[in-house]
Amino acid sequence: MTDLGRRAFLKTSALAASAALLTSPARRVHAAPKARVVVVGGGFGGAIAAKYLQMADPEIRVTLVEKEPVFRSCPMSNEVLSGDRSLDALTFDFRGLTRRGIAIMQDEITEIDAEQHFVRGSSGNRYNYDKLILSPGVSFRWDAIEGLTEEVAERFPHAWKAGPQTLKLRQQLEAMDDGGVFIISAPPNPFRCPPGPYERAAQVAHYFKQHKPKSKIIILDAKDAFSKQGLFQAGWKQHYGDMIEWVSGAAGGIVEAIDPKTGALIGTVEDFHGNVVSPIPPQRAGALAVSAGLTDASGWCPVDQKTFASTLHPDIHVIGDSCIAGVMPKSGYSANSQGKVCAAAIAAEIAGQAAPEPSYVNTCYSLITPDHGISVAGVYDLEDGQIVGIEGAGGLSPMDADARTRAIEARFAHDWFRNITADMFG
Amino acid sequence: MRLRMSSTLLAVGLTLSSAAAAEGVRSASMLANTCAGCHSTHGASAGEQMPTIGGMDNGYLYDVLRDYKTGVRGSTIMGRIMRGYTDREIHAIAAYFAAQPWVSTDRVAVATDLHIARDIHARQCETCHEDGGREQEDKSPRLAGQWAGYLEYALEACREIGHRCRPRKMGERVMELSDAEIAALARFYESEK
Repeated sequence: MTDLGRRAFLKTSALAASAALLTSPARRVHAAPKARVVVVGGGFGGAIAAKYLQMADPEIRVTLVEKEPVFRSCPMSNEVLSGDRSLDALTFDFRGLTRRGIAIMQDEITEIDAEQHFVRGSSGNRYNYDKLILSPGVSFRWDAIEGLTEEVAERFPHAWKAGPQTLKLRQQLEAMDDGGVFIISAPPNPFRCPPGPYERAAQVAHYFKQHKPKSKIIILDAKDAFSKQGLFQAGWKQHYGDMIEWVSGAAGGIVEAIDPKTGALIGTVEDFHGNVVSPIPPQRAGALAVSAGLTDASGWCPVDQKTFASTLHPDIHVIGDSCIAGVMPKSGYSANSQGKVCAAAIAAEIAGQAAPEPSYVNTCYSLITPDHGISVAGVYDLEDGQIVGIEGAGGLSPMDADARTRAIEARFAHDWFRNITADMFG
Repeated sequence: MRLRMSSTLLAVGLTLSSAAAAEGVRSASMLANTCAGCHSTHGASAGEQMPTIGGMDNGYLYDVLRDYKTGVRGSTIMGRIMRGYTDREIHAIAAYFAAQPWVSTDRVAVATDLHIARDIHARQCETCHEDGGREQEDKSPRLAGQWAGYLEYALEACREIGHRCRPRKMGERVMELSDAEIAALARFYESEK
């Protein structure tokens, strides 16, 4: 096309567009872009929601706002504690999403104006939206365990958000003498990554077995049962003998307080003294969701489970760990699946269609050794507004699987990580 | 070949449009997107034991997914997952992935034993896996550009069940292969793009 030709063409298009505006009262005056969607949080839920929304309808302007310059994955971060993985190998940037046409803004959202439909960042920037998607992860209940504050957690790292806390815990484990005691306290339900504390015990035991074989690991649990319990306990025994001790809530595992000086954990029955202490605090929805008033009395965000629209503010959708999603666990895979359902619902609404019938999946691998993987899967649909497991599907790795099967599942665990992060950032 | 392609696309088009129209029916893309958590976007796997499934033959994919569901084909996790889908949904998922473009791995050939694999391929595999494993006729899956990790895993699994590996002709041939030959074959197909 010649320059003149192109100019003429553009002029014609502009005329056609204004004609469309005049004849279609539903179209807004600022018809281009078709709609503005702001996604806050670039993790397992947010990155996926942004990417799949952009793929569903490239005419929607998608902006992803993330406070960190890069994303660090919590899944596989227990391998940093065992020494099998570097923090770099958990770190991803957003260039792939930029290439797809998504605007990436590094900013921390501090204000949501649900009436005026905008959010504001600590940079001062204001982001207007037609639809807002929040994927803010979890925040910690600093009022739940006496003495456990954000500041105290700097010395006794929870490492429940991958990054400096993970490295700090690794350094403390490295500095510990052989024969020392490592204590994890596991939070009450619901919380991010239900098998995480128990995989952490296994990963640290893997490190101790090689370097500090006289050491002990104690898990103080607020609960009387946990995810993949039979598989974990059999795996611990098989590989680590009596190195790992689990104390249920009923048996005195509930931690009521921490001594901020020594890190002693004050239980209901007795106190526990460890050389390295990792108290994982009880949790609720991400701080932004809490401050925006999107949570209910449970501390989590009630949503329409077909679209993930908040039941409190319909133009704000909440996905991932923060939302209440029926029987789905708070996992990376759940957030991935919810991000896609949410993106499809928003794309449909923008196109003037009904939300599509949803389908959700969760798959979660845990590593007991680098060659011993176990998994749980769930396939879900929506019944009477609630996400429920489809009967006969999903479930755990078999208890009696042979070593070869465990090794294959360990390889699948690593491949899962490769692929889910490629799905997010590729 | 051109005719086969268009019939696949036609089948997908029908599945997508009829699914979107029907109340309470989960669309092909809605169902298939949940697979991407392990097989990546549009089934173009990032490796290594997870196979690329985007762009595979529709009939092959349907058979494999159905056999996972019924347990005819052994698995660690796929059986647990496929039991969550109806036969109609499995058809939709297979058709969706069959309609995606095939993306070969970016791995280049490094092995020195590729001539062993080429020889086995020519004598034992070529009749069904024509053109270096690119051709997908009679429900034979694409091998060229697939991840070696997956191919090795699939061949080992086939060898383990021997005569029960389907098709039987393949089971009988794979039973005769050594570990080294399986590894060489896997790398050979991976290097073919």
